[in-house]
Amino acid sequence: MPARSLAWILSAVLLAAPLLVSAQTENFRARLSPMPTTPQTVDSITGEGEVLLSLEGNMLTVSGTFEGMSTVATVAHLHNGPPAQPGPAVHQLVVTAATGGELSGEIELTDEQVDALRANSLYVQIHSEGNPPGELRGWIFPRSQ
Amino acid sequence: MTDSPDTRRSFLKTWIAGAGACLLLAACAPQDSASEQAAEVALDFSAQAEAGAVAYATNCAACHGAELEGTILGPLLIGQSFVQRWGTQTPALLLGNIQSNMPPGGAGNMTDEDYLNIVAHMLAMNGVDSVSSALTRASDFVIAENISRIVALRRPPEPPAPQGLTVAGNTEDFVPFTPLTAEMLRDPDPADWPMHRRNFFGHSYSPLDEINTENVANLNLEWVWNMHEGDSEPAPLVYGGIVYLINPGNVIQALDGKTGELIWEHWAGPANRQDMRNIAMYNDKIIQATTDARLVALDARTGEQVWETVIADNSKGFANSSGPIVADGMVISGLAGCARYIPEDCFVSAYDADNGELLWQFETIAEAGQPGGDTWGGLDDLFRAGGETWITGSYDPELRLTYWGTAQQKPWVPVSRHMTINDVGLFTNATIAVNVDSGELDWYFQHVPAEALDLDEVFERVLIDRGEEKFVYSIGKHGILWKNDRVTGEFSGFTETVFQNTFTHIDPETGAVTYREDIQNAQLDEWTSACPSSAGGKDWHSMTYHPPSGLIVAPLSQTCLENAAREVALVQGGGGLAASRKFFEMPGTDGNLGKVGAYHADTLEEVWAHEQRASLHTGTISTAGGLVFVGDLDRRFKAFDVNTGEILWETRLGTSVQGHPVSFAIDGKQYIAVTTALGGTSPRTVPGVIATEITYPRWGNAIYVFSLPEGLN
Repeated sequence: MPARSLAWILSAVLLAAPLLVSAQTENFRARLSPMPTTPQTVDSITGEGEVLLSLEGNMLTVSGTFEGMSTVATVAHLHNGPPAQPGPAVHQLVVTAATGGELSGEIELTDEQVDALRANSLYVQIHSEGNPPGELRGWIFPRSQ
Repeated sequence: MTDSPDTRRSFLKTWIAGAGACLLLAACAPQDSASEQAAEVALDFSAQAEAGAVAYATNCAACHGAELEGTILGPLLIGQSFVQRWGTQTPALLLGNIQSNMPPGGAGNMTDEDYLNIVAHMLAMNGVDSVSSALTRASDFVIAENISRIVALRRPPEPPAPQGLTVAGNTEDFVPFTPLTAEMLRDPDPADWPMHRRNFFGHSYSPLDEINTENVANLNLEWVWNMHEGDSEPAPLVYGGIVYLINPGNVIQALDGKTGELIWEHWAGPANRQDMRNIAMYNDKIIQATTDARLVALDARTGEQVWETVIADNSKGFANSSGPIVADGMVISGLAGCARYIPEDCFVSAYDADNGELLWQFETIAEAGQPGGDTWGGLDDLFRAGGETWITGSYDPELRLTYWGTAQQKPWVPVSRHMTINDVGLFTNATIAVNVDSGELDWYFQHVPAEALDLDEVFERVLIDRGEEKFVYSIGKHGILWKNDRVTGEFSGFTETVFQNTFTHIDPETGAVTYREDIQNAQLDEWTSACPSSAGGKDWHSMTYHPPSGLIVAPLSQTCLENAAREVALVQGGGGLAASRKFFEMPGTDGNLGKVGAYHADTLEEVWAHEQRASLHTGTISTAGGLVFVGDLDRRFKAFDVNTGEILWETRLGTSVQGHPVSFAIDGKQYIAVTTALGGTSPRTVPGVIATEITYPRWGNAIYVFSLPEGLN
């Protein structure tokens, strides 16, 4: 193979590499909203937020914000359960110890968890001092970009 | 295993013996003993009521108001309404009802004593003044007999409620009157909207096309009329240019459709603030069901009462929230309030439109020894409850069949009703087709047997002919659009209009549903999470069929719930709903509670959908102008292109838009009318706790009428 052709192929591969990586990245989003509530608890289970997630291979990058919780956040988790059905926590996330702030994580998922993610069966949950069982929650769904 | 009356008596004996033991202890224990203080409190009604005020403030006031005055989230518990509902009952029954159903989110840390104290507080607030001994679970005195002056003790005297005609007039002073015959009802004049959903088939479709996709953006307000306050989900009727309007409290008004001028007003009573969704018209009569389960016929011209009959005994809890349909001179009515354990069951019934004489009744609960009677798990007939027909049915004059949806068994969860998921309970949660001449069941199709989450399949049945085939369509709270052959009842197809996770499988050949295993086996006080919520994927707000496009356009709702069954004892007079509930956003909807979905009647495929944060609170109607109209909680009234779902016009009204839009014409000019209204149950409560940022005035029941300006039509 002529050297010039080889160089052309190499540069084409190098140029395409970011595109290939980008094509392998799957993007997801979760809308955080209050845990199940009633007229009695509507003022003590509050807040909202958004979490953006990207998956490359089995690595999941989590980055989100939240605000308006009734009390200070204590811990955040990634849980495994189909839409609207609670399930066990499978990973811990980093969360700001405040009523609003950020949450993040770099997590290596198992193959089963990757399958669960693609089947809309993972969700994010933030717990708070006033609501130890959880105050904000959001199922993770694919997003187009 | 069931809780028999004997075991119940045994429990009471134990409790009374325990209470007696407490009294003895009180006499010898140290004065600062907490248990002694509790025993002392339990000795005295007023102290009990005082403690109840604290427990009420903590557990009940958020919904029912600090002074029991009611809020948007819960009905009032004081005054005439309370006494009408509970005056003839006993504290024991009131306690049982509250303990089975309240608070909606679960009992939490509330004790039996808290509940007793709350009942004492409610009775004291309602003027119970001849009771001194503490209430017990067995207190069986008649509440009203212990109120010397029911409301006067706590509230300023109220003027006597109006009764009968309060404004006299005659529609013939405005327009000539022509009786509305059975033949005219079969094919209504395009200018009229003479029944709830305009025609017997329930299409909610107007053939008028002056207002269309090209000019709807020019709609202007023509007139407004403020209605009486109270719970309201009204569907106006329009005939011959006169608007007949059902108000809260069983008040009907006749208005000139052109100018909005009041012609007559009639109060059939009771003068409460309760909701009635719709009324009917036949010949020269306006016919209403009342909230206390009567039928009243008024002269359509003058509002004067012509006849009255009782549908069912209101003192036993029976009630109506929707009006009748008049099928060829027969007034056919449903019935609600059938959750109690009493010998009488729910039914559909028919009456002669000329005089109110009963023609037939069809009971929706199969009793032992009757067809379907073996589907109730061997339960004594007394404890078979539910099967309400709380939404008005449809009618096929050629087949001589009236189609109704029935509500589910009560209480809501199988374990609460001492049954299993295999006890399907005919003829609940079904479409029933009843012959209008004989009152006999022609066929039934049970959409969700042994319903387990308060997701009833009771709403309107829409009858659609596609070629030579005759179908009936319905959407219940599961949000599943069902299609059945309306001649035979045979299943013809389904589609899921919103996310649902209650069923793991729906058989495409038979429509048979398989519940999720944890729902099948739900035990007392176990939380089960499911979608949609009891606000329904769809609720009472009816859908429209648009014949030119073949589209069914439905107002839908996207929320979910957690549900936990409560225990209900099998005692006469008991029963109820018996579940704790919490609500949350439906995953995957981005917080959009409202959805307008368009589905083709042949394929059931979703052609378009519009989603929005605010929940929808009117039925959808469609017109020959290619439009769909619907209103929402956020005060918006919108017009969509029926073919694309594009929003072509919207306006914002005084408060939440709620009821059933209509379209009519006078002197060739087309009008669109819609009501704003307050009140309602789950469809209001659930958005109230999820979409808390949506605000609207807590008053403002009204009808708004729109038209095109001259020159733009």
